Amino acid sequence: MTSLLQIENIHTFIGQFHILEGVSVDVPQGNITVLLGRNGAGKTTTLKSVMGITPPREGKVIYKGEVLNGKKTHHIARMGIGYVPEHRAIFKTLTVKENLEMAAREKNDLKNSLDLIFELFPDLKRLIDLRGGNLSGGQQQMLSIARALVPENDLLLIDEPSEGLAPVIIEDMMRAIKRLSDHKTVLLVEQNFHVASKLADSYVIVDEGHSVHTGTMADLRNDKALVKRFLGVA
Amino acid sequence: MENLIREIGVPLGRFFGRTTATGAIALLFAIILGVAFVASQGNMSTFSITILSGLLRAALLFLVAAGLSLIFGLMDILNFAQGAYFMIGAYLAYDFQHPANGVIRIGEAIPDPNLRFLVGVILAVVVGGILGVILERGLLRPLYERPLFQLVLTFGVSIIMLEFIKLIWGTTPYAWTVPITIQTTQFEIFGQGFSAYRLFIIVMGIALMIGVALLLRNTRIGITIRAGVEDAEMVTALGINVRAVFTLVFTLGCALASFGGAVAAPFLGATPSLGATYLLASIAVIVLGGLGSYEGTAIGSIIVGLAWATMEQFSLFSNIGTVWSSITPMLMLALVLLARPNGLFGEER
Amino acid sequence: MKFLREHWFFLLVFVGLLLLPYLIGWLTGSNPLGVIRGDRYIMRGESTYWQSVMIEVFALSVLVMSYNLMFGFTGVVSFGHALFFGLGGYITGIMVQFSGLDPLLAFVLAVGLTVVLCTVIGLVIGLATLRLKGVYFAIFTLALAEMVWIYFGRLPLTNGEDGLTMSNLPAIIDPSQNRLILYYLAFAMFVFTFLFIRRLVNSPTGAVFKAIRENEERAQAIGYHTLRFKLFAIVVASTMAGGAGIIHAVLAKSARPEFLGVGYTVDSLLMTIIGGVGTFTGPIIGAGGLHLADVLLRNAQFTIGTTTINIGESWTFLLGVVFVVVVLIFPFGVVGTYQRWRANRKR
Repeated sequence: MTSLLQIENIHTFIGQFHILEGVSVDVPQGNITVLLGRNGAGKTTTLKSVMGITPPREGKVIYKGEVLNGKKTHHIARMGIGYVPEHRAIFKTLTVKENLEMAAREKNDLKNSLDLIFELFPDLKRLIDLRGGNLSGGQQQMLSIARALVPENDLLLIDEPSEGLAPVIIEDMMRAIKRLSDHKTVLLVEQNFHVASKLADSYVIVDEGHSVHTGTMADLRNDKALVKRFLGVA
Repeated sequence: MENLIREIGVPLGRFFGRTTATGAIALLFAIILGVAFVASQGNMSTFSITILSGLLRAALLFLVAAGLSLIFGLMDILNFAQGAYFMIGAYLAYDFQHPANGVIRIGEAIPDPNLRFLVGVILAVVVGGILGVILERGLLRPLYERPLFQLVLTFGVSIIMLEFIKLIWGTTPYAWTVPITIQTTQFEIFGQGFSAYRLFIIVMGIALMIGVALLLRNTRIGITIRAGVEDAEMVTALGINVRAVFTLVFTLGCALASFGGAVAAPFLGATPSLGATYLLASIAVIVLGGLGSYEGTAIGSIIVGLAWATMEQFSLFSNIGTVWSSITPMLMLALVLLARPNGLFGEER
Repeated sequence: MKFLREHWFFLLVFVGLLLLPYLIGWLTGSNPLGVIRGDRYIMRGESTYWQSVMIEVFALSVLVMSYNLMFGFTGVVSFGHALFFGLGGYITGIMVQFSGLDPLLAFVLAVGLTVVLCTVIGLVIGLATLRLKGVYFAIFTLALAEMVWIYFGRLPLTNGEDGLTMSNLPAIIDPSQNRLILYYLAFAMFVFTFLFIRRLVNSPTGAVFKAIRENEERAQAIGYHTLRFKLFAIVVASTMAGGAGIIHAVLAKSARPEFLGVGYTVDSLLMTIIGGVGTFTGPIIGAGGLHLADVLLRNAQFTIGTTTINIGESWTFLLGVVFVVVVLIFPFGVVGTYQRWRANRKR
């Protein structure tokens, strides 16, 4: 299977803090790859490094064969990467429709994607004119993911989608992510191991700024010792 | 009946955001209008002139404050130079219109004072815009990583511009002596004359307030600006070059301030104190309205403008001296900061 | 011995400034006490001229050092610092002219009153930092200073815009009679301020100041009551500014609204940054260097093409340009950039 995204031994600094001390991730096309690890391990920073928000000082990020290092964030996004940040970063003062409009890059993006979006997230249809700030947590998360589906993105970076959501909503959301992985590649960050193990095909464990272990999800589900060591809970 | 109230109430309530804000606004208006009425001693013509002067000032404040507010909301920069742009607009318009005592004197080419004024205003806007681009791209862009220095830099630039104007045009105030015809036409308001030109500016100010609001609400760029005010990083992550939007908003803000100075010049003249006065009052406007809120800026301009004119009338009436009217914008600023730093519509930042 | 070796530069400057009036007197053949006319001295001659220049340098240095303490070390941005500077001058003027007391007593009381008032107002303003963060606080201080400036500008008691002339100063510090004593008074305040700030910033309290400047929330998370430290910094800075204001006003023998005006706040900010934020000698270099440049170049001119530019007239403009250049290219100021250059060379 070809790699859509290759992160090769990146080192990222935030200010003077050496957050990522050598992270490597391989994201095969069509799969859901999950970054696992404890709080503060550097998972979010890894996504931000790919997007160019906190660019890596060393190492390489290669997407579709092109090196992303040094490119501006909006250029990187336009190469076909959709970023769904943690804490559901939707625009609260904009309506659902306006949020989606913001994500459109080509003229017909919104029109072409609405069918898929409403199929995955039927609630959004009736909420379309509501302000983002008036949506529930789960609805905001749906909107955040839906927004990444508006333009033609091949890779989605999704950061802790289950955070703060009720279990029932999480189930809905997992179903949606699983569905959209039929068309797109996903690099997921999740602290909730239950969600991660049900969704992902392969995993990378990040611990204190290094990538320490990688493999298929099937293997990890059976390796309770490893899970306990790096993730704290099983 | 209930449905009707809900039909009007819901969009109105959404517009105001919070009932407490609406209450505060209503109270402020009531107080200001009340004082104005008392200060006019019940004389309808004085009262209306006071109100109109207030609205006039509100229009000018809006022209400076709108840029200040959007630039702050979008880029987190308090552009102290806005006052200087206002001044440049005034001086350029003055100079163009009065080639006899001006410094640049290109206005001589156009004999008709009305046409000359129009061209002068356009000149002011263009120069304001160009200076805005230079400031943003040349001086501010390199400093995006250091917010403390950005604040200090706009302060320094405003001083440079102010002093530069003083160097070229001197420190004596200039009065407008080549009138445009619309200035001399007067409207009768309850027996007193009020220049048609001033009325025109009030109307234009209101039109601009509504126009910019529509732009922000309905156009693609407007939505982008509103999104950027909320979360500029996310806008970049969606593939939009937010820095280009910054430059656009900054330039428009400066051009608008320059426009304000130019159209105000016929009755304010061109004086070195214009910059500081209007800058400080505009800061009061955006703090009162809420930093980063467009509606707040519009309503804030009206409130501060009316309060200012009212205080002037009041000090005439009660003989307490001009101190109070001069410090009105500052006093309002200090009080708002103490009572409710987020202003009427501001969000927690 | 080690002390001498480590601090030889400072000691040299100290002695130099201490003896300056006599050094200049010796070099130019003028009397540091002035020229004798009858039974009193008149302030004429090179020595007395440079004394007044240096008195102003001392006053401005204290002002800028105080601003640097607040802004450079503790990270509190204030746009109203001139308030305290001018207040010191006005309190002195009012006490000396209108209290009806013996001038020396009036003056001493004025000093005490200035300390008290600056402390109180500083506390009040500092408390505002509870409510107001960063930019909001800066705007608040600006509004406050503007109001006070407008108020004094129209106060009939102090002659409104023209300001108050201090004709009733105690003879011992009246710059028209006894400039040398004023010189040493200003010098003493200057040295004291420098040493005090140095001691304070290098103490554990100073470490908290710097922590607050870096990241106030983190400092709070560690457990510091940052408000107390900020209040302390603000009060100390305000009182020092008040003291500087007294010297400045006495030298000028007047108290004018512009002493309260935004001009002195701007100068403090500019000189702090040009000299070097967060350094000890930066403010002195900034204040001293710029004032001396102002005095020396006041009548200098240079011509570009057909336009002659008089430096004295365009002083503020040039200052602004220098400021922008420093902010963009040398953000650490003269002293800061020099220190970094030294540190880089050692590597």
